[in-house]
Amino acid sequence: MFEYALRRIISFIPTIFITLTLIFFITRMVPGSPISSLVGHQAVSAEQIDAITRDLGLDRPILVQYLEWLPHVLIGDFGNSLFYKQPIIEVVAERFPVTLYLTVFSMIVTISIGMPLGIYAAIRRGGAVDYASNAFSSIGMAMPSFWLGFLLIIVFAVSLGWLPASGYRSPDFGIWNWLSRLILPVIAQSLAQIGLVVRMTRASMIEVMGQEYITMARAKGLSETRVVLKHALKNAMTQITTVIGLTFALGLGGSVIIENVFALPGLGQLITIAAIRRDYSMLEGGIFYLTLVALVVNLIVDLAYAYFNPRIRY
Amino acid sequence: MSTEPIGTQSEKLSPPRAIAWHQRANPMFVVGVLMLTPLILMAIMAPFLTFLDPLSINAPQKLLPPSWAHPFGTDHFGRDVLARIVYGSQISLRVGIGSTILTALFGIFLGVASGWYHWADAIIGRVSDSLMIFPGFVLAIMIMAAIGPSEFNVIISVTVLYVPRVIRTVRASVIEFRGAEFVEAARTVGAGDFRLLFLHILPKAAGPVMVQLSFGFAWAILVEAGLSFLGLGTPPPTPSWGSMIADARDFIRSAWWLITVPGFMITLAVLSLNLIGDGLRDMLDPRLQSKGIL
Repeated sequence: MFEYALRRIISFIPTIFITLTLIFFITRMVPGSPISSLVGHQAVSAEQIDAITRDLGLDRPILVQYLEWLPHVLIGDFGNSLFYKQPIIEVVAERFPVTLYLTVFSMIVTISIGMPLGIYAAIRRGGAVDYASNAFSSIGMAMPSFWLGFLLIIVFAVSLGWLPASGYRSPDFGIWNWLSRLILPVIAQSLAQIGLVVRMTRASMIEVMGQEYITMARAKGLSETRVVLKHALKNAMTQITTVIGLTFALGLGGSVIIENVFALPGLGQLITIAAIRRDYSMLEGGIFYLTLVALVVNLIVDLAYAYFNPRIRY
Repeated sequence: MSTEPIGTQSEKLSPPRAIAWHQRANPMFVVGVLMLTPLILMAIMAPFLTFLDPLSINAPQKLLPPSWAHPFGTDHFGRDVLARIVYGSQISLRVGIGSTILTALFGIFLGVASGWYHWADAIIGRVSDSLMIFPGFVLAIMIMAAIGPSEFNVIISVTVLYVPRVIRTVRASVIEFRGAEFVEAARTVGAGDFRLLFLHILPKAAGPVMVQLSFGFAWAILVEAGLSFLGLGTPPPTPSWGSMIADARDFIRSAWWLITVPGFMITLAVLSLNLIGDGLRDMLDPRLQSKGIL
C-alpha cells in the first residue's frame, strides 16, 4: 500500500507540470492577444504597443517566456490580475469557498439520490422504477444546467418566492441566509450528475449481480435481501469511490456555468469573467487552481480505492 | 512470428461489418431519430417556416407575449422568437456536424496511430490524457478566450474537448485486434500497415466510434449553448439558443417565455442524440452498457 501510494503521489508531479504547460500554450496560441486585451479600444500607436510588448517580455521567443513563467507558477505565483490589481492567489482564495460549498453539496445530493436509485433500478430491472429512473436520467442529462437553473428561479424564486433568486452570503450572515442561496444552485447542478450516477451504479450493480458467486449465494438459499446487500453491494461498493471522484470533477466543471446563473462569486465565475475580459494571468491561475482541486480529489479517491480494493495495488 | 499454422482454422473469416446488428431496430434509436428528424427539417427549411427575419430589430414590438403573429412572442429588441428559434437550429446543427466530422477525422487518425505505433502513443496518448485533466468544459473556455468568439472557433474547441475520447476508443480497438488471428492472416498474405489498419482493424472499431460520435454530437450542442450563454461562443446577433437564454435572463420576471423555449429546444436536440447513441450501443452489443465500456 505504501509503495503504491508513493508511486501514485510521485506520478502527480508530471501531471501538474503537463497541466501548467497546456495552460501556458493554449492561452498563448494566438500571438499578441494579451496586448490587444490590455490596450482594448484605446487609440494607441504602434510604438506604444511595441513598448508594452517589450515591458511584458512578450517580444522574446515563446520558449524563453515559458521557462521564465514556469518556476513562478510552480510555487503558485501567477502574478497580478490585470483587472483586480491584486495577486491572483488572493483573488482565488477569496472565491474558492463558494465553489467548494457548491461542489460538495451537489456531490452529497447526487450520491445520496443517485446511488440508491441506481441500485434499486438494477435489482428491479425492467420494473417501473427502472424505467422511470432511466427516463429521469436521460432528460436530466439532456437539460442544459443553466436553463434548469433559470426554470428553478422562475418557479421557486419569482412565482413562489420561497428562495432568493441569486446572489451569495457567507455563513457569517447566518446559516439560513447562506444555505438558502445555495439550494437552487445545488439542485440545478445535481440533476445531470444524478442521471450519470444512476446509470453508472445500475450498470456496475447489474454486472456484479451476474457474477457466479451471486448465483452461488442464491443457491445456498440466502434471502434475496441478503444476497443484494451483503454480497452484491459490498463488491459494487468499490465503484462508489470512483463515482465520488467523478462527481466531484463534474461538479467543479459544472460550477463554472451554475455560478454565472446564480451570481455566485466563486472560482467558476472568476474564470468566465477573466475569459471575457481576456485577463490571461487571471484565467491561467483560476483554471490551474480549479484543475488542481480536481486532481487532488482524484488522487485521494485513487488512494482510497487502493485501500478498499487490494487487487489494485498489483 | 507465431509458430502455429494460421490457415488451419475451419471457420471462414466473416467480412468486416460496421455494426453487428443484434436487433433490427432498438426503440430508443427509433425515438431518437423521430425526435431529431423534425429538428433537421427545421434547420433546412428555415426560410419556408418563417417569413420573419431573426435579426430585424423592431423596438416598439419588444417583449410581446405569445400571440398569433408571434407564437413565441418577441424579445427585448422586438425580434420574433420563433424565427430566432428556427434559425438557431441551424447553428446548433452546424456546430454539431462540424465538430463531429472534425472529431471523427482527428480521432480516427490519431487513435489509429497511437494504437499501432508505440512512439506515436507516447506523444498522442500523453497529450490526449492531459487534455482530459481539465474538469468539465473549462478547456473549451480557455480555448475560446485565446482564439476569440466565433462559430468556427466553437467547432474547434468542441473538437479539442471531445477528440481524446474518440482517440481512446479507436486506440483500444486497434490494440485489441492488433494481434488477432485475422490480422496476422492478412499480414501473412502480404497486407501492409495501411491496409491492415484501414481495411481490417478499423471496421471493427466503427461501431463504438459511431456510438461515441452520437454522444459527441449531443455534447457539442450542449457546449455550444453553454459557451454562447457565457458570452464566449457564437457572438451576437446570431440567434444561438444559448445566447437567447443569456439575453432572456434579464427579463425572467416579466417574460418567462423568452427563456423556456430555447432551453426546451436544446434539451430536445441533446435528448434525441443521446437516445440515438444509447440505441446504437444496444444494437451494437447489449452487453457493452452493463460492462460500462461505453
